[in-house]
Amino acid sequence: MKYISKMNKIGFLSAIAAMLILSSCNKDLEQFSEAAPVTPTGNSLGATLAANPDDSLYLVLVKRGGLLETINNTATTFTMFVPGNNAMRSFVAAVSGGLLPPGTPDPIIAGFLSTTFPADQAAGIVSYNIVPQSLKIANIPAAFPNFQYATILNPQPTLSDLLRLTTFPSASAAVGPWVNNVPLVATDIAASNGIIHNTLAMVVPPQRFLWDRINTDAGLTYLKAAIIRADSGIVPGPPGGVPTTLQGALESIGANLTVFAPTDAAFQATLTGAITQALIQQGLPPATAAATAAALASSPSVFSNPALYPVLTAQTVQGIVSYHLLTSRAFTNNFPTTETAFPTLLSTVFTAAPTNIKLKATFSVPFVSAATVQGNYNATPANILINASPLLPDPYGTSDQHFVNGTIQEIDQVLIPLPL
Amino acid sequence: MRKVTSYLVTLIMANILCVAAFSQNVTISGNIRNSSSKESVAAVSVTVKGGSEGTFTDDKGNFSITAKSFPVTLIFSSIGFESQEITVTEKKKLDVAFKPVSSLGQEIVVSASRVPERILESPVSIERISAANIRNAPSSNFYDIVSTLKGVDVSTSSITFRTPTTRGFGGSGNVRFNQLVDGMDNQAPGLNFSVGAIVGLNELDIDNIELLSGATSALYGSGGMNGTMLMTSKNPFKYQGLSFVVKEGIMHLGDNERDPSAYHNIALRWAEKINNKLAFQFSGEFVRAKDWLGSDYRDYDRSTSKLRAGDRRTDPNYDGVNVYGDETTADIRQVLSGIAQQAPFLAGFISTLTTKPINVSRSGWTEAQLINPNTINFKLSGSLHYKITNNTEAIVAAYWGTGNSIYTGASRYSLRNFKMGQYKVELNNKNWVLRAYTTQENAGDTYNLSATTQVFNESWKPSGGSTGWYSQYGQAYLTAKLNGLSDQDAHDAARKVADVGRPVIGSSAFNKSYDSVRVIAVPQGGALLDRSDLYAIDGNYNLSTYTHSIADVIVGANFKDYRLNSQGTLFADSANPIGIREYGAFAQLSRAITKALKVTASGRYDKNEYFKGRFTPRITAVYTVAKNNNIRASYQTAYRFPSNQMQWINLDLLSYKLIGGNKDFTALYHFDTNPLYDRDSLANGKKVSQSFGELKPESLSSFELGYKGLLMDSKLLVDIYGYYGQYTDFLSRRVVVQSKTGGPIVAGDADTGNVFSIPVNITEKVKTYGWGIGLDYRLPANFTISLNVASDNLEHVPKSFIAYFNTPKYKVNASLSNSGFGKKKRYGFNIAYRWQDAFYFEGDLANGNLQPVTTLDAQFSIKIPKVKTIVKLGATNLLNQYYYNTVGNSNVGGLYYISLGYNLY
Repeated sequence: MKYISKMNKIGFLSAIAAMLILSSCNKDLEQFSEAAPVTPTGNSLGATLAANPDDSLYLVLVKRGGLLETINNTATTFTMFVPGNNAMRSFVAAVSGGLLPPGTPDPIIAGFLSTTFPADQAAGIVSYNIVPQSLKIANIPAAFPNFQYATILNPQPTLSDLLRLTTFPSASAAVGPWVNNVPLVATDIAASNGIIHNTLAMVVPPQRFLWDRINTDAGLTYLKAAIIRADSGIVPGPPGGVPTTLQGALESIGANLTVFAPTDAAFQATLTGAITQALIQQGLPPATAAATAAALASSPSVFSNPALYPVLTAQTVQGIVSYHLLTSRAFTNNFPTTETAFPTLLSTVFTAAPTNIKLKATFSVPFVSAATVQGNYNATPANILINASPLLPDPYGTSDQHFVNGTIQEIDQVLIPLPL
Repeated sequence: MRKVTSYLVTLIMANILCVAAFSQNVTISGNIRNSSSKESVAAVSVTVKGGSEGTFTDDKGNFSITAKSFPVTLIFSSIGFESQEITVTEKKKLDVAFKPVSSLGQEIVVSASRVPERILESPVSIERISAANIRNAPSSNFYDIVSTLKGVDVSTSSITFRTPTTRGFGGSGNVRFNQLVDGMDNQAPGLNFSVGAIVGLNELDIDNIELLSGATSALYGSGGMNGTMLMTSKNPFKYQGLSFVVKEGIMHLGDNERDPSAYHNIALRWAEKINNKLAFQFSGEFVRAKDWLGSDYRDYDRSTSKLRAGDRRTDPNYDGVNVYGDETTADIRQVLSGIAQQAPFLAGFISTLTTKPINVSRSGWTEAQLINPNTINFKLSGSLHYKITNNTEAIVAAYWGTGNSIYTGASRYSLRNFKMGQYKVELNNKNWVLRAYTTQENAGDTYNLSATTQVFNESWKPSGGSTGWYSQYGQAYLTAKLNGLSDQDAHDAARKVADVGRPVIGSSAFNKSYDSVRVIAVPQGGALLDRSDLYAIDGNYNLSTYTHSIADVIVGANFKDYRLNSQGTLFADSANPIGIREYGAFAQLSRAITKALKVTASGRYDKNEYFKGRFTPRITAVYTVAKNNNIRASYQTAYRFPSNQMQWINLDLLSYKLIGGNKDFTALYHFDTNPLYDRDSLANGKKVSQSFGELKPESLSSFELGYKGLLMDSKLLVDIYGYYGQYTDFLSRRVVVQSKTGGPIVAGDADTGNVFSIPVNITEKVKTYGWGIGLDYRLPANFTISLNVASDNLEHVPKSFIAYFNTPKYKVNASLSNSGFGKKKRYGFNIAYRWQDAFYFEGDLANGNLQPVTTLDAQFSIKIPKVKTIVKLGATNLLNQYYYNTVGNSNVGGLYYISLGYNLY
């Protein structure tokens, strides 16, 4: 009996022990593993700039703008358009008003940038050189027109968090990569939190609007008068609202246009020719007609001359001006190398007849050597007046003039959509 | 039919009126004590040999019985004791020493054949829980003991809401498993879950629980495809006196979500025999605890019905299983493209962000934050029993319960002030039963956590509109992206902005606002206004007295009338309550072919007003191989009409509509002109059309072979079974889609069309099979060691059907117990182990793999006979290993308690 009892005890104890062991642990809920977040490796953008001696002056500008922390933040991804030291020297020569001409020792330039140059301007410029996404050249669309990328520069943060100045990188196979009107000299330099492209010159944020240039350029007075004529009788949209007039669009931050701006001479020639033809049809002898026409077209007031209202109706002028506008931003570096038709602003309202214009450029890498634009009823293509020296910015140049809301390409003919 | 009825009425009247009319003039009284422990023994049957007189000992072991004249032979019997006969020749007080015996396999069961028989001789698999089992069990609630039975699975929604099943189809709202309380269907007529643990009996009331595994509808009607559990209360003539149990416990130890908190449970029963004709019983129970919590925060993809990687931080469209309000989702590309139109200079940038959908869910709240932590359950029941004759008892009874609990259906439902009452009148003769009852359900302030929280989110900040949550989110997201942030950080930042103004949990603003939403009916709020009722009549008659020479015959019939009334919050009943009528009748013949072989055949016919009638046959045989060793075999066809919900539910779950199969839905959703297609196929580019509205009842043909016997000198009880079944017209659900516009279906509709989950019959034959083995070994000194293992399987369910089988392939229970050991046998203990295998769970709330679950329950008790008290120290889930037994249900930890029971028998 004792033996049985002992056996029982052993049995019980082992049974209990077995239960305890077996029930030792319930597993946690089945978990699903996520792809581990990729930890950035290598140098941050700031460190990458610091490691490249040719970026030393720009790095001073970054620091001056207070953006070093921003570009070193590995939680963010940026693409930077960074001018090398040579470009920085030119930039400083320009912004110092010639006080620090090229050849000035770098430490002096650096000193200027870190003390004299206004910090808010530095911040604005550097912010404009930053696109808040990873933008390898291979990922930039090569098609015309340039793709519009937002930068981190908000021109009016008090108005909205979402305001951004935009920038226009392009990757034309014919001429190589550019950003706005500046070629890239080195691309796809990888940092842990982004990419650096080196630019041939400083990419400066535009400050003026298209209208500012048209309104003040002594060589574009006919265009200005034509726009005013085109807008006559139209009630402008509310301030800050959607513009209803051409001038309003040219002043609007929300617009994104290319203006093929015929020079005053081009307008004069076209108007003289057109008025002459009209006068001859009215029975005036050709010589008289030509002289009268030349007199009438001799100043921009031709558009505000009531006698010509029946000929230069607001609608006709509107059509002509609209025919000179693209609803996208075109830099010549992104033009096709063979003549290709693109719709104009006129195309969006007038579909009865072809309202495209044909663009073409010839390159001498990395620059454009010639560019043309041709209207439907132009016998020959109009030439874009290529800048006298490459990269001439507004207000000094005539091609690829960059504004907050578009570009201006001056041309030597008025583009004619329909028979005048 | 009328002829049969009148014949039955005549028989019933004959039984009632057949009153023994002779006079009785000697009274014998006495007392019965346990010969070994010297404790008084209550509820011992005392009958006069050769007469019809009978009584029971009261809670002090006393009895008093009247007979015609001396000498009188009295028979004393009670389960667990050796029966005794004592002949009394003169008037004196009898002191009976009642000898306890080990009685493996000697229990009497009724439900397997509707007549009393020894459990060893049952023709189908049956399990029984006695009041003695309940006394010695480690569970905190009698209902939980069921989970230790062979082949049983339990789904735990709440500490007071557990749903058992056998042979598959686990889940809170199991409609394939019947639960009957004193003969009444215990299923809430509207919500379709059985409320056994919330309404009805308490542990002191339970005389016994019988559990029939597998197909049982040949005897118990629609439902019961997988089993039937019958709970029977104590008769106040037999069990008298005042009893109570007070349990105080602690739970939520080591819980990440809640601090340790108390568990209170008080149960009371009072029964008196006023005289030999009249007795009453009253009982009540009060439970209060902080409930177990659903705290599964894994990310659920409602469009594919699968769990996925991610959390609130990494997945902007995070939808936590037990997180509510985050079911609202939208593609913020709509906001972004709106911005691009207004700010064309950003169009380019935005176009780089919107190459694929950016689905974002609103911020949700966890169950711990939202739900009232206090689970309360208050039960009351009472009955009045009147003996019209010695053999006929009239019973009026009421069972009522109310409280807060949690139920898991298509969402988690907080049952608040849920009330359900069952009221019956019954005439109970030794040969027949006639019963009428009603179930009155009132969902009280029950609300759907997901719906309520989604509407609540809209109330503090609407999702849509130019200043809405998604607009703010989209703008902030874009701003963050414009500042170079990663997607994840941008989403984080956006959520912070959009969530500005989000009410603080626990603040009065939060509570006021939330409470105002949860009392408004869905879909404008989250309340479920279920007030459905059931009216039922059933009866059966054992004709064997008249037919015994040929066969034992039992006939019966029942009628059920459901009134679904959710005012459009659950069913398609916004216009009028829906009525569903069912009736059925059965007959059973049994005959001992030889001494060793007994064969029973039964058949049942049922009709539901929306479905064609069904005949379900059953044939069983028990062959006695040797004394106490029986082989059983059965073939039966079980069936079920689609549940009320499967017929009439109409619930918008936002990502899809859960609807019933009644053909009226065709007109409601224009399925005739805008047809349905299988969504999975459509997503894979194939158009597979899906018909609607021809739902049929599901049936199951099942074979079972079993053996039950006593071996090793009656110390080992062995029960083995194996079954194989084949479902016809298996009821399942399928996710289908119709064109949003009403035009021809296109591939994109798989994502953007109107999605429905509709009930369908699977035309393929779905097969089920399984087996179970149970061993109980009686060791010396009253120790018992038990082990059972069971396995259930379902096969041939076609892909893209949701079967809800929800059962582990294997499960094991083992226990070691002793109901009386030590000096004077005053000590008791029970240690019970359970393991169940991993399985894939399918539910309307969520699908996913469940891990294996192991639990260990234990109790140790001491009897103090002087004060008729048992003190018990117990624990369920002793090792505090938190587990889920259903995806989306509560996470269950350890509960440790001490209980004091007075006058338990």
